Amino acid sequence: MADVQTGFFRRQWQQDDPLVLIARLILGAVFIYASMDKIAHPAAFAKDIYNYHIVPEICINLTALVLPWLELIIGILLLIGLFREGTAWMVTLLLVVFFGAMVFNLARGLDIHCGCFHTSAQGTDSAPMAWYVFRDGLFLIPAFYLFYQTFMRKRELAKAQEQ
Amino acid sequence: METKRLRKNIWRAAWQSGAMVVLAMFIGLLVNEGRSDGLALVADWSPEVRLTTDAGDSMIVSLEEAERLCLDKKAVFLDARPPEEYARGHISCAKNVPWQGFEAYMDRVWGVIPEDAWIVTYCDGEACSLSEDLAKELIAMGYKQVKVLLNGWTRWTEAGLPVKKGDEGRQMAGIEKDRTS
Repeated sequence: MADVQTGFFRRQWQQDDPLVLIARLILGAVFIYASMDKIAHPAAFAKDIYNYHIVPEICINLTALVLPWLELIIGILLLIGLFREGTAWMVTLLLVVFFGAMVFNLARGLDIHCGCFHTSAQGTDSAPMAWYVFRDGLFLIPAFYLFYQTFMRKRELAKAQEQ
Repeated sequence: METKRLRKNIWRAAWQSGAMVVLAMFIGLLVNEGRSDGLALVADWSPEVRLTTDAGDSMIVSLEEAERLCLDKKAVFLDARPPEEYARGHISCAKNVPWQGFEAYMDRVWGVIPEDAWIVTYCDGEACSLSEDLAKELIAMGYKQVKVLLNGWTRWTEAGLPVKKGDEGRQMAGIEKDRTS
């Protein structure tokens, strides 16, 4: 069903705008990299989530167990170019949620361990929260571009091909 | 035509996202089941549970007990907040060992504080985890009597207990002297 829906086997990837390809590769690599340490250390990641004081306590462990795998799946699908619409939506959504969580904690003066790429089991780090916010903001650029291209531009391309 | 395509895209995004979430839940929970150190799906994150050692002892120290330990100089107080906050004001008997970038401050602990000394860590706010993380690291380093004064700075000042201002510079000189004497 995947081939019918996404056009992967219709060689859709060959029509890719190079910038879309770059955005996908960057985000895919970042998401896969980010998932690794969290998958290896779920308890430490749960602690990081707890430290954000945003997720309800009852959901912390479930989030710690599922979110890294979701990141890994999204990362792999971004790299191979399957599930275009789903990955563009999810990658943007997740980055916006992470960004919001960090800005929220920065605003209320809670300087905590990011838990973005390495869980706190890896020791402490002294980078300030503002740096994480900036870094996440950088990832939002390819995400928004990909989102725009997937949901807005593709229609124009398709229309041009139809003519 | 245009809206039809957009609707189709949104529909795809929805079912693909759903499929990815379901798959992630399936793999995540399955892998967790298979792990020897798997997590409980729902955990109790209250301070009482979080701050219980493997041996079953509570790491929480009451304000009254902390006051006694400080005034009688029975315990080493460690302020886990960043240096700037420490400089703005801290518990009178506390040294600054910021948890963020702990490695750089390790020399304020290791070889300075004896392993059997009583240690009380604190930071500020209900949500602050710096003191907890520092306390757990100290226990992992081999310290036997490490306690946490929850929401320490706020409760200490609200109770009108003795405080000091100033940075760690002078404090450290004090420690160095203690060490050589």
